[in-house]
Amino acid sequence: MESKKKGKDFCIFALPGMFCFFAVVIIPFLYGVYLTFTDWDGVAQTKNFIGFSNFIGVVRDGQFWLSLLLTFRYVIVVVILVNVLAFAIAWLLTRGIKGQNFFRAGFFTPNLIGGIVLGYIWQFVFSRVFVNIGESTGWKLFEISWLSEPNKAFAALVLVSVWQLSGYMILIYVAGFMGLSEDVLEAASIDGAAGWAKLKNIIMPLMMSSITICLFLTLSRAFMVYDVNLSLTAGGPYGTTEMAAMHVYEKAFTSRQFGVGQAEALILFIVVACISGLQVYLTKKQEVEA
Amino acid sequence: MKRKVKGKAVAAALILTLTVTGLTGCTFGFASDPDDPNQVEEKVEIDTSIDTFSYDSALKGTSITLMNSKAEIQVALEEMAVVFEEKSGVHVEVMPVTDGDSPYTKVVSLYNSGNPPTLSILDTTDVIALAQEKAEDLSAEEWTKEAEGYLTEVNGKVYGFPLCIEGRGLIYNKAVIEQALGETFDPASIKTQEEFTALLDRLVAAGIERPVSMAKEDWSLGAHQLQYIYETYDGTSEGAQQVIEQIKSGELQVEDHQRMTEFLNTFDILKKYNVAKGDPLGADYDEMAIDLADGKTAFWFNGNWAWPNLKEAGAKNEDAYGLLPYFLNNDENDFANQMIQGSPSKQVMLDGQVADEKQKAAAKEFLNWIVYSEIGQQMLVKTCNVIPPFKNNPYEPEDPLSRDIYEHVQNGTAFNASAIVPNDHWAVLGAAMQKYLADRCDRAELMAAIEEYWSQQ
Repeated sequence: MESKKKGKDFCIFALPGMFCFFAVVIIPFLYGVYLTFTDWDGVAQTKNFIGFSNFIGVVRDGQFWLSLLLTFRYVIVVVILVNVLAFAIAWLLTRGIKGQNFFRAGFFTPNLIGGIVLGYIWQFVFSRVFVNIGESTGWKLFEISWLSEPNKAFAALVLVSVWQLSGYMILIYVAGFMGLSEDVLEAASIDGAAGWAKLKNIIMPLMMSSITICLFLTLSRAFMVYDVNLSLTAGGPYGTTEMAAMHVYEKAFTSRQFGVGQAEALILFIVVACISGLQVYLTKKQEVEA
Repeated sequence: MKRKVKGKAVAAALILTLTVTGLTGCTFGFASDPDDPNQVEEKVEIDTSIDTFSYDSALKGTSITLMNSKAEIQVALEEMAVVFEEKSGVHVEVMPVTDGDSPYTKVVSLYNSGNPPTLSILDTTDVIALAQEKAEDLSAEEWTKEAEGYLTEVNGKVYGFPLCIEGRGLIYNKAVIEQALGETFDPASIKTQEEFTALLDRLVAAGIERPVSMAKEDWSLGAHQLQYIYETYDGTSEGAQQVIEQIKSGELQVEDHQRMTEFLNTFDILKKYNVAKGDPLGADYDEMAIDLADGKTAFWFNGNWAWPNLKEAGAKNEDAYGLLPYFLNNDENDFANQMIQGSPSKQVMLDGQVADEKQKAAAKEFLNWIVYSEIGQQMLVKTCNVIPPFKNNPYEPEDPLSRDIYEHVQNGTAFNASAIVPNDHWAVLGAAMQKYLADRCDRAELMAAIEEYWSQQ
């Protein structure tokens, strides 16, 4: 009787969701994996099984590995900057400073603007506004557009991503800070913990669950960056800021090597899944109960 | 209390600004803002009184779709569809390819979802890629005779309807040159690279510090500029194909290819006089149009598709703009120094896989209508504002750039060659060209990149 009811509940509540999840995530994913073993070009009516040829193509595609390396650099810088910045700002914004609600909303706003629009806005800022400032002040830093020099273009990309992502992370950290038990903090203070010691030994362990979420979100978002990449630098100057996701798209649709592109996408997925999985496992272990 | 007064003051100020701007009719939009309600839509009159085209009444009520990848003629095509429906009873649904999508990706995804457009406007390479799998053979169509020389064949068959001719070269602003030099400017008087350089020097002496604009976009550098090395081989598409095959097989080394060296010589000249020389990769496309229209520059390497940008920048239909050839050397008799490049660019493909016979017939009637009916002919030239590749079309384009190319085509001073290159040619080699443009690599490295690219094909 009990199990029958459970079955009915499952059908009512879980089945529709499961169906959608399978239809739009699992099945296309498996189908995509299958496509990596075929020579399908997106158009042909027949798909021939060609084994691991596409993966050999991936190994030979030096540009893919370069873009993956670049993505790693980007992810490391972005994840560290976003989290340090968001943590620090969230800490400031939970200390009861004047107008903190206004600031919270202000920092969150960039997150509400879509990546494409954001990219175009900043493109204008970097190549027109900054250059104009450079012209009128003679500052070397803004003499030429940041987007026309590889290292500065990379810096621009990082800057915009950090600006966009930190708002969301601030929100999560703020929630974390507000959930901290006053009793524990007060007890720590009475015991003589202050400043760095308090942060390291009391606050950080208690904030670990927020950190887990934020690290996971920033990691996966940074790895999959596409929209800002496309609209801000479009991979330029001369392909030096082409991240992995963008390279995969270009491979599949511009170079029309569907199979190789699909195989690269699969490899990117595995890399991201492994790294985020590992991160969640490691940070979860650090979590404590107050 | 103080706060209240402040709030009231702000509100009053706001109301005042709104009223003032409302009364003076000032809007915050830019002059070229497409949504600007103050802008008067100029409409080209189409004479529909004469129509000798015979419509097939059996096709009445048929509905077909047309995928359009040429954003600037979307509205014009919709107008055409309305007129065509009035006359023939065939409904044509025009669907645009949105900005972010590539036409090929879009059409392929539509095919994969089992709902392809009956007609699709695509680039020539796309038609070649899709022809045998998906397209209907159009070789037997009547209009093929009118478009002789502008048809692309795949295995001896025609799969694409050439919609328009597009040409490229060094766009000049005649008024600017004449004003600077204080004499009349005859574009035909410039016949060699040396003469072109001399002209640039004179313009510099006359106060136009850097008279050339050069787009940094990869499609401009990788496709429109670099492809001269194939297309100027002998000025035909077959010749271009031959060079490509030779480079691909390694028979011809890029550094030994004479046109390559000549092309880079010209490219270096443009680079030297580039208005954005300090930061060539920071050059802004819209600004180039403004610079040319305002007379900050006198030349812009581009094609007739740049007209909407120039128009937005203030150029008018009656202004004198035109195109000079991409001078490759000092031989007056070299065709590359006498002719500009003008080729069909967009092709209409008819679906041969999903569309039923009636739809195919309706689509073919639509294409014939564009070529043979008085209304279709007018609308192609006047409403869509394109250069028609059809010999029987008596109408002339309105804007100066299209008109110039049209005249070149009529006078035989345009060469019709389009290189068929892999789809990522513009992106990959465009990046290599950007590097060269920014002086971050030398000729040897650029040529090595081109060799490398072709060896992988």
